[in-house]
Amino acid sequence: MSVEEQVKENAKQGKLLTHKCTNCGYLHLSTAYYCLKCGSKGFEDVFLDGTGTIATYTIITVAPAGFEKYTPYAFVVMLLDNVNLRISGFMANISTPADLPVGAKAKITGFDERGIIIERQ
Amino acid sequence: MEKVCVLGAGSTKYGKLADSIADITTQASVSAIESAGIEPKDIKASYISNVFGVADKQVHIGPVLMSRLGIPDKPSLTIESACGSGSVSFREAYANIAAGFYDCLIATGVEKVTHTGTEWTTTYFAYCSDFFYEGQAGASFPGLFASMARAYLTEFDATEEDFAKVAVKNHDNGVLNPKAHMQKKITIEDVMNSPVVASPLKLYDCCPFSDGASSVILCSEDFAKANGGDYIEVIGSGRGGSPAALQGREHLTTIPSTKIASEQAYKMAGITAKDIDFAEVHDCFTIAEVVDTEDLGFFEKGKGVQAVREDRTKLNSDISINPSGGLKSKGHPIGATGIGQVVEVFDQLTGKAGERTVRDAKIGLTHNFGATGASCAVHIFQSV
Repeated sequence: MSVEEQVKENAKQGKLLTHKCTNCGYLHLSTAYYCLKCGSKGFEDVFLDGTGTIATYTIITVAPAGFEKYTPYAFVVMLLDNVNLRISGFMANISTPADLPVGAKAKITGFDERGIIIERQ
Repeated sequence: MEKVCVLGAGSTKYGKLADSIADITTQASVSAIESAGIEPKDIKASYISNVFGVADKQVHIGPVLMSRLGIPDKPSLTIESACGSGSVSFREAYANIAAGFYDCLIATGVEKVTHTGTEWTTTYFAYCSDFFYEGQAGASFPGLFASMARAYLTEFDATEEDFAKVAVKNHDNGVLNPKAHMQKKITIEDVMNSPVVASPLKLYDCCPFSDGASSVILCSEDFAKANGGDYIEVIGSGRGGSPAALQGREHLTTIPSTKIASEQAYKMAGITAKDIDFAEVHDCFTIAEVVDTEDLGFFEKGKGVQAVREDRTKLNSDISINPSGGLKSKGHPIGATGIGQVVEVFDQLTGKAGERTVRDAKIGLTHNFGATGASCAVHIFQSV
């Protein structure tokens, strides 16, 4: 299974697959093939539970093709709990900034044609 | 290394153009050739920057241009680096002159997309993101910069009105530029009342999708002197990269590639940000100009909005930012933009900028990036 397929399958279970460098311990998203810090190629899989807080986001009203039927929706960047890693994703049913304060708790809940799905907790 | 000069420059008007991509590429190139006072046979190779040629049924534009210029035997190379294609292509042309491979080159940038409509243009542009994480999850480019804008509003003393003021300033400049796409003065209220595209960015926080082509002639100093016309000198050149997706950046309000590229360019030129008289920066969205002016070292991080509030970036103030009107008002034909910035610097430093002339300017900077700044090039120019 390709790296992207593994990310998808784990996200469908609400998990985030990450890669920890076996040389220096630095944690990456699993699409990294070489360590950002030490350049090493050895990684071990670490499965995170996909929870975090909203670092930033936007509410999109003019959407790319395929997303018109979901507007307004949020594209969010989430800081994962307990690690120095962020993950982006799609969040449905957000229409005003009052719906989603920066710092709100959120979680990966799936993966479909809208990419990684993140929901408020 | 050979000294590198810019000997001529030309652009089509930016906007919604009827002519084909091949036609506008040629029009801008002929204009640059005539501005330089050279013949096509003087050109040894071409560098073409273009992203979505497929949208107007013409990729591999280089040989088409060279054929139309009567020099089909001369080599060409097409370069794609999203919205930063023009400056990256300029850098490659620069490096080839500097290395002594050629004494005279043409670098032409072009884009023709407006006929595809807003939905498809938005879609095509989203392909320039780290698609697996961003475009696939519904992120548009306004959406990605809006995410930076929200992070900036959260972290610093800034308001949406501050961002709006950037748009007002660039439209004020663009009104003075006959080639600009949006030659229209606007007010802060116009920006604030325009429809939301991706909150907190509104329509007038966003540059337009534009068609257009720009072209410059680069040459060695010996070639420029022998030619006899006006020319300017390239004194600094830098390139940098950033994590492709916003999520991977250390700070959501800093574009690392801008810092890397500008530090290289300042070092090569032996100057600092304080020595720059004016700059054409990548203001694809109002937030981008604020972030750029900080990352380029003109203002401290978080203080860029204060400079805007105090009118310090207006034409002929502390530092004139985007005297051409920038991407916001001049327009953003993405493959052409980086070359168009050099056209503006050439016009400014050779006395051809008319009403928008930056007074007593000797040193100008161009800053252009691809996507959310995943790739970037900065160049510094000096009058001769």
